[in-house]
This record gives sequence, structure tokens and C-alpha cells, in this order.
Amino acid sequence: MVVGFDQVSKIYGNVRAVDGLSLRLHPGETVALLGPNGAGKSTTLDLLLGLKHADAGTVSVFGLSPREAIVAGRVGAMLQSGGLMDEVTVQELVKLACELHPKPYRVTDVLARAGISQIAGRKVNKLSGGQAQRVRFALATAGDSDLIVLDEPTTGMDVSARQAFWATMREQADQGRTVLFATHYLEEADAVADRVLVLHRGRLLADGTAAEIKAKAGARRISFDLEGEIDEAPLRALPFLTAVTVSKSGSAAGSGQTVRMQSSDADATVHALYGLGVYPRNLEVAGLGLEQAFVAITEAEEAKEVTQS
Amino acid sequence: MNALIKLELARALRNRKFLFFSVIYPSIIFLLVAGQGGGNQSVDDSGLSVAAYVMVSMASFGALTAVLMGNSERIAKERESGWVRQLRLTTLPGRGYVLAKTAGAAVVSLPSIVVVFLVAASVKHVRLEAWQWLALTGAIWAGSLVFAALGVAIGYLASGDAVRPITMITYFGLSILGGLWWPSSSFPAWLQDIAKWLPTHAYAALGRAIEQSQAPKAQDIAILVVFFALFTGGAAWLYRKDTLKA
Repeated sequence: MVVGFDQVSKIYGNVRAVDGLSLRLHPGETVALLGPNGAGKSTTLDLLLGLKHADAGTVSVFGLSPREAIVAGRVGAMLQSGGLMDEVTVQELVKLACELHPKPYRVTDVLARAGISQIAGRKVNKLSGGQAQRVRFALATAGDSDLIVLDEPTTGMDVSARQAFWATMREQADQGRTVLFATHYLEEADAVADRVLVLHRGRLLADGTAAEIKAKAGARRISFDLEGEIDEAPLRALPFLTAVTVSKSGSAAGSGQTVRMQSSDADATVHALYGLGVYPRNLEVAGLGLEQAFVAITEAEEAKEVTQS
Repeated sequence: MNALIKLELARALRNRKFLFFSVIYPSIIFLLVAGQGGGNQSVDDSGLSVAAYVMVSMASFGALTAVLMGNSERIAKERESGWVRQLRLTTLPGRGYVLAKTAGAAVVSLPSIVVVFLVAASVKHVRLEAWQWLALTGAIWAGSLVFAALGVAIGYLASGDAVRPITMITYFGLSILGGLWWPSSSFPAWLQDIAKWLPTHAYAALGRAIEQSQAPKAQDIAILVVFFALFTGGAAWLYRKDTLKA
């Protein structure tokens, strides 16, 4: 086991930033940590890296305490907006990171892998946001660490830089490393991660592959138009639905309705729809993006909390 | 840890503005102040010439500048930018950062002391025994650790816009009231009563005792020791507080 959180809580005042969180990461996984702002992503990563200490529960990394794991050189990490030492060159800073790592790579290799060989001689305080991000990545991969932790790694990068970054990251994962990253770009999680953790108010809301998360949210959208006055009750009773909305359609016919549904089994739902004896026009069935799935899951949770309180 | 110390040293020696203010500037003030004093006239009852008296003041002032100004602002800035957090994700032990900063400052403070001595000896013909030069250099260099600790404490205490004014007030307050710019004997009596308890006053007194071939006063040593304990204790406490908060 790479990382183990056992009933971990972190409390600020009366806010439970992390609330009884338990999770395990296994060797070789690439794991995305998702959650809306304030969900506890950064606090979770800080606990994992030993920058913060849990108020309850235990955090272990390779069976060690977070600090011990770092001292053993098993963890490389890149923090969100992690500052850099200024007035030194990129090369000097990367060399420092290599010298501080127990199992270092060669400085030239680290620079090349992070794509910053050309700016090695530049002063750190003269870098663009995307270049600085690459330098942070170089610091996180200066040695042969078994776990790489990245907090919002592609913030400030343009689309092509982001793609190049994830290509590099995938190489790291292919070499058998475990990669854990927090992001708010859901398409990244969808494209890169083997496993997605959805965090909400410090608790784990969903844990599975991107496909499973989408399925959990009601994986497909179905939309169609119906003419004339319709009875909504049988529509709402269709199997596998997770959400239904009925609205006036914009068609010239005037009396039509547009129905939008989300279904965890679109085939069965559509089959049952025809069984009602209606004639749906403009039928569309489309997959739900991870983003919509994510919104659906967190909104459902918020609604549940409202009804409970 | 050596890797960071090396890099901090390289950076300190590369910073021209900082080098000017801590290495050249004290010598310039020395020439301005010592130039006014007439020949071998002695200051107060010290039996020291104006040049010898001011030399110790300015060497102490230069060392103070190097260790206090460099550390406080840089630490506050790097704490805020997140560099200190980033370093905590390396094998560097917690004290490594502070030690590297102090070493960086000490490397600049040594030339600032030596340059004042060289200027004093060559331009103002200050003459001392060889052991006195060595003892002076050692005492002023070692004594600057008291203020290096203060710089670290301020760096962990203040943040953002506050750190510069706090450093400046502390720096000028300690320099002027401690008698590094004008002999404190020229102060009104009530101010002299305050000044003699300041670490900068004791610091310069240490150097002057060496020039007079006298044993340093127990009171001055005690003051420096107490302030050193106070500043390092404060710095350690603030450092721990900052680490838990991070």
C-alpha cells in the first residue's frame, strides 16, 4: 500500500476540512482528486505530505509517517503556487533539488524531462507562469521517488503545455510510479487518471474509474420532444432515471414539450419509453462528461444534506 | 543541507545592492565620521583615537546590517511565497533553512568587518597589535550571531508589508541608540541609561575593550548572552508556530 488514510480528520475552528477520511492508494495507480473549492483537497494533500498534522486518525505513506517517507526519498511533490527561491538560475535550483534527494537523477536529465533545458540559465524570478510550473515539476521529479503528488499542476499552462505536461506525467506512471494529483480541470482527470476520488466537505463521495463515476451520476443524457399535452407521471416512472426535466419546446407547433432525462441505463430507459406508446421526436442519447457527472454527484449530496437538516 | 548553504552563499555574493550596503557603506560612513575628528584626540575617557573608536562602531554596524537586513526580509518573503513549504518536502531538516540563511549572512558580514579594518588601517592609520586585529574580527563576527538570530525572529514574526518597517525601526533604533553612529556618551543622561542595556551597545563595547587591551566587562557579555538566548528562543518559538500553521 502506498498511502493509507485511516479515519483522518482535520478541523479549523468549527469547520471540518477533512472529516473521517479513509482511503488507500495502491502501487502504480494514477489517481485524480476532485472536489469543488473548499472540499478539502489541499488539506488532504498537506496531511499526506506531513505539512499539516491530523487532529484525529492516522496517515501513513509506504508504512511510514509522511515526514519519514519524504526523508527516505520516496515522495516527490509539487505544491499549488509553491514559491521558488529567486535570484538563482533554474539550473541551480534543480541542482539543489537533486542534491537534496537521496536517490537523485542527473540534473541534465531532470531539466530535459521537464522541458526546461533551454531556460536552464534563466533567473527563476524571470519565468512565466507556465515555465515556473515546469520548474516546480522538475523539483518534484529530481529523484527516483515512488509516489508523486501534484496539487493543481497545470494551473497557468496553456492547452499545448498542458498536453505536454500530461505526456511527461504518463511516462512517470508507466515506470510504475504512483501519481496522485488534484485538479479542477475535469477533462484531465477523465483522460489521465485510472481512478478518481471525489471529495466533498472533507469526505469521500465517490471512488472509482472515471467511467464508474459517470455511471454513478446517471451516465447518459436522453432528450426528445413530444407533441401535444403529455402526462408526466409515466415518463417520471421510466426505469433507471436519475433526473427528469420537462419544458415547453421552442418549436413552431406551439404545444410541444421538450423532455430531458439522465439515465444510468439509457438503452433500457429508451426501450421503456417506446413501450409507453408515445412518439418521441429528435431523440438524442449522449454520454455525460465527467464534469456533469461531478456536478450531479455533488449537487445530489448537497440536496441530501439540506433535507437531512 | 550543505547544498542549500552553498546556494544561499552564491546568491548573497551575487546581490550587488546588498553587498554595497553591508560591505562598502559602513566604510564610507567610517571615512566621513572619522575624518571630522582631529588627529589623536581621544573619545571620552576611552583613550582611543576617533578613528579607532569609530572603526569598531562601523565594523559592528556593517556586520549588523549584513545579518539583520538580509535575513528578516528574505525569510518573510520566502515564507509567504511558499518556498519554505516547498523545502519542507525535501530531506532538508527543519533547522537547515535557518542555518543556511545565517551562514549566508555571516559570509557577507565577514568582509564588511574586514573592509572597515583595512580602510581604517590604511587611510586613518589605526595601529593595533596582531592579536587585537584577530580578536576584534573574531569577536565582532561571532557577536553578529546575536543579530542574525534577531533577523530570523523578525522574518518569522512579520509578513508582507510589515517586515520592512519593523526591520528598519529595529535596525536604526539599535544602531543609533546603541551608540554605533555617535558615541552614546553624547546622549542625555536618561537616554544613556537606556542605551547601555542594548545589545548593540554591549556589542561595540566588546570591540573597544579589545582595542584598549582590557578584559571585556562582565555586564556587556551578560547582555549579549541574554539577548542571544532571547532572540534564538523567540526565533525557535515563532518557527515552530509557523510550521504548525503552514
